Amino acid sequence: MTVSKAVVTLVGLVAIVWVLWYFLATPRPARGRGERR
Amino acid sequence: MTATPAPAPPAALRRRVTFPVTGMSCAACASRIQRQLQATPGVREASVNFGTTKATVELDGAQPREVMEAVRDAGYDVGTDALSLAVADLRSALDTSRLEHAIREVRGVLGAVANPAAESVRVTYVPGFLDPRDLEEAVTAAGFVLAVPVSESDPVERERLVREREARDLAWKLALAAVVAVAAMVASMPLMGAEAVGSADLLARVLMPLDGAMRRGLPWLYAADPQTLKVVLFLATLPVMAWSGRGFYVSAWRGFEHRSADMNTLIGVGTAAAMLYSAAATFTPGVFTGAGLPADVYYEAVSAIIALILLGRLLESRAKGRTSEAMRRLLGLAPRTARALRGGAEVEIPAAAVVVGDIVLVRPGEKIPVDGVVRGGRTAVDESMLTGEPMPVPKAPGDEVVGATLNTTGAITVEATRIGRDTALAQIVRLVEEAQGSRAPVQRLADRIAGVFVPAVIALAIAAFVIWFDFGPSPAPVYATVVLVSVLIIACPCAMGLATPTAIMVGAGRGAERGVLAKGGSALEAASSVDVIVLDKTGTVTEGHPAVTEVMIALEVVDRMAAGTPGDGEAAVLQLAAAVERLSEHPLAAAIVRAAAERGLQPPEATGFRALEGRGVTATIGGHAVAVGSATYLIELGVDVGPFTDAVDSLAARARTPVLVAVDGAPAGLIGLADPIKPSAVAAVRAFKAMGLEVLMVTGDIRKVAIAVAGEVGIDEVESGMLPAGKVAIVKRLQEAGKRVAMVGDGINDAPALATADVGLAIGTGTDVAVEAADIALMSGDLTTAVTALELARRTMRTIRQNLFWAFAYNVVGIPIAAGLLYPVAGVLLSPVFASAAMAFSSVFVVTNSLRLRRFTPSLAP
Repeated sequence: MTVSKAVVTLVGLVAIVWVLWYFLATPRPARGRGERR
Repeated sequence: MTATPAPAPPAALRRRVTFPVTGMSCAACASRIQRQLQATPGVREASVNFGTTKATVELDGAQPREVMEAVRDAGYDVGTDALSLAVADLRSALDTSRLEHAIREVRGVLGAVANPAAESVRVTYVPGFLDPRDLEEAVTAAGFVLAVPVSESDPVERERLVREREARDLAWKLALAAVVAVAAMVASMPLMGAEAVGSADLLARVLMPLDGAMRRGLPWLYAADPQTLKVVLFLATLPVMAWSGRGFYVSAWRGFEHRSADMNTLIGVGTAAAMLYSAAATFTPGVFTGAGLPADVYYEAVSAIIALILLGRLLESRAKGRTSEAMRRLLGLAPRTARALRGGAEVEIPAAAVVVGDIVLVRPGEKIPVDGVVRGGRTAVDESMLTGEPMPVPKAPGDEVVGATLNTTGAITVEATRIGRDTALAQIVRLVEEAQGSRAPVQRLADRIAGVFVPAVIALAIAAFVIWFDFGPSPAPVYATVVLVSVLIIACPCAMGLATPTAIMVGAGRGAERGVLAKGGSALEAASSVDVIVLDKTGTVTEGHPAVTEVMIALEVVDRMAAGTPGDGEAAVLQLAAAVERLSEHPLAAAIVRAAAERGLQPPEATGFRALEGRGVTATIGGHAVAVGSATYLIELGVDVGPFTDAVDSLAARARTPVLVAVDGAPAGLIGLADPIKPSAVAAVRAFKAMGLEVLMVTGDIRKVAIAVAGEVGIDEVESGMLPAGKVAIVKRLQEAGKRVAMVGDGINDAPALATADVGLAIGTGTDVAVEAADIALMSGDLTTAVTALELARRTMRTIRQNLFWAFAYNVVGIPIAAGLLYPVAGVLLSPVFASAAMAFSSVFVVTNSLRLRRFTPSLAP
C-alpha cells in the first residue's frame, strides 16, 4: 500500500505541474492557421 | 476614448457585421474566438458574445472568407442560413450554372444550387455578411429576373426558431439523461447496501430510508445478480455520455487542443473519471477486491450530473430567449404590408418589397411602411415610437416621414427613400443588437478569472485526490475518486460566465423599451460611474429649435437693399439671412429659414456657401458677399459691428441670441432668436444633482444667454462661447482632474466632445453624426431620458457585481466542501450528484437575478 501511495503521490504531483504548465505557463499561440498575412 | 481619433480608413471600407457563431458552450469559448478574430489582419475590432451566440466584427479590409476561417481556426463554425429565390425563366442547364456562378460571387454567399424544375435557386449564406441587394443585383446582372424580390427574412423570428430548436434538442437530451439517472439511482440501491461510503455521502444518507421501502416494493431487483446490474447500468449510461453529454466532451477536447480550459473541461473530466472508475469496477472487480476494496460504481452520478447540467442549460436558453423580447417588440412595430402605386394602379404588396422611389399611399390610422418623403397630402404623424414625444407632428409635402410611425389625420402619398436595413427602425434594431452582443470591460475580467480558475481547480482536484488517497479512511481510492469528481463538478464557472452577458442583455433590452439605446456593455459600464455631467445647451437643455423674436436693421444699408428686394428692410434682412442659412444645419439657421417661410419670403439663390462650425456662414447672393453669424465672427471678417453693440447686449440680457447679417462687409441687420427651455430640463437637472453628479452646461452661445438659461434650470456652472474644440477641452480638463465625464449633446458641434467624454449621450432629436459619436443614443428629446440612462446603467452594473459576487462566493464555499474539508469535522462528504445540482442552481440564480432588471422603472417618467 505504501508503494502505491508513493506512486499516486508522484503521478499526482506531476499531473498538477503539467496541468498548470499546459494551460497557464506557455503563451497561447497568438493566431492559428490564419497567421499567413 | 481619445480626443484625436486614430486616422481611420474611409467609412466605405469599414463595415460592422454581426454574424452567428456555432459550437460555443461557455464564456471562455467566446473569448477564444474573439482573440482569434482580433489577431486576423484587416479586423479592426471584434467582440463575441456567448449570451447571444453572435460575433460582431468591424472589418477594415478583411474579407468575409478570412473572418470565417478565423472562427473555424479557433475550433468553431459560423452559423449559416439558406433562402430560396424564385427566378423567372430558369430553364436550361447552361442557365443554371451561369446563375449559380453569379450568386456564388456575392459576398457572404457560401453556395448556390439552382433548380430549373422549380425555377428557384437555393442560396446558403452567412447572415450579417450578405446584403440582399447584392444578391438581387447579381441575379439581375446575370440576365435573370427575380419573380419575388429578395427581402431579408425577419432575423428575430429566425433567431427564435433557432432557439426553439436548440431548446427542443436540449429537452430530449435531458429527458434521456434524467430517465437513465433515476433508473440508475434505483438500481444502485441494492448495490450500495450499508457500505462505509454510503454513510458518509450526503445523498446516500437521504436515500437510505428509502432502502427498506424499495426492498419490499422491488424484491426482484434485490434478488438480481449485482454483477449483471452493474453491466446493465454501464450499457444504459453509455448513450447518455455519447449523445446527451456529447457537447461537453467535444467542447472540452476543442479547448484542450487550444490550451484553454473551461467549464466543459471540468464537466468532461469529472464525468469521465466517474465513468472510467465505474467501468473498471464493473469489468475488473478482481483488481479492487484483491486489494481489499469494494468494487463500487458511480453510474448514477454520471447520468445525474449530465442531466442536471442540461437542465441548467435549458433554463438558461429559455431565459436568454426572453431577453430578446424587447427587440421582437421593436420589430413588431413595422407594418407588414404597403399600398404602392405600380403602373398607375394601387396594389397591396409586402412592406419588404417596396423599393426606393416607390410611391406609397398611407391612409389615416395606418402606419407608414418605409422611410420616405411626403409627396402629396397633409397630415399629422404620431412619431412617439421614435422620439417618445406624444404630440403628432404636422407633415406637408417635402417633409420626411419615418417608417413604423402612425399616420393620424390625413391621407398622404410618400416616396420611399430608405428601405429594409437602411430605415430608421432597422438602424435602431441594429444598435440594440450590437449593444446586446458587445462585451463590457468587466466581462474581460470575468473571462480572465475563468481562464486561470479552471486549471487551478483541476490541480486542486488532483491534490485532493492524492491527499484522500494517502491519508483518507479506507477504502481510500473510492473516497479519493468521489472527492475528485465532486470538486471538478462543483467548481464549474458557468455562473461566472453568465454573470455579465445576461445582465447586459436584459439591461440593454429594458433600456431600448424606455428609449435608451446603449451602444454596448462598455457604454453602460462607463455611464454607471460618472461624476460630472456636461450638458450642451442648444437642443439639450433647450428645445433646440429657437424662434426668431425680432429683426433690426442698420439704417444706412436698408436703402441699398430695398432697391432690389420687395417688402421692407426687416424682410430683406431676414430673406438674405434665410438664403445663406438654408444650407446650414445649425438650429439657429433653421429658425431663420422657418421665420422667412412663415412670412412668405422667397430666399434668393445663394452660391459659394461656407460654414465655420459654431460661428457663422458666408455665401454669395446676386454678386453680394453675405455673412451671417455671431458678432465675434463678423469682427473676424472685418465687419464693423459698432452700430449693433447696444442692441446685441440688450438681446443677450434677455437670453436672446443675436445673429448679425453683413452685406459686402457692412452691417445690415440683427436678428434676435430665443430658444425655449425644455419643460423636462429642470426636473432632470434636479435628478442629476440628487444622484450626486456635478452638472455643467456648455454652449457655443454667448455668456449672458448661457447664464440666463442655466439660472432657469438650476445649473451653477456654465461655460459659454465654446467651439467644438473648446467643449472637448472642458471635457478633457475634467478628466485630467480625475473625474469621469458624461456628455449630453445633439449637434454636429457636440460630436467631438461626445466621443471624448467617458460616455457620450446623444439626445433624440440629434443629428446622425452626434448619434454616431455617442455611446448611448436617447430616443426622445426629453432630458429625463438621460437620467433614465444613468439610472439604468447603475442598476445594470450593480446586478453584474451581485452576479459576480455570488458566482465567486458559491465556488469559495462549494470547493472546500467538495474537497472533503467538512469530513474530518462533521463526517460529511458531498456526492457528485449534489455538486452538480448546486452548480446548476448557481447558474439559474445568476440568470434570474439578471432578469430582475426587466422590472427597472426610471424615477422620472418621461
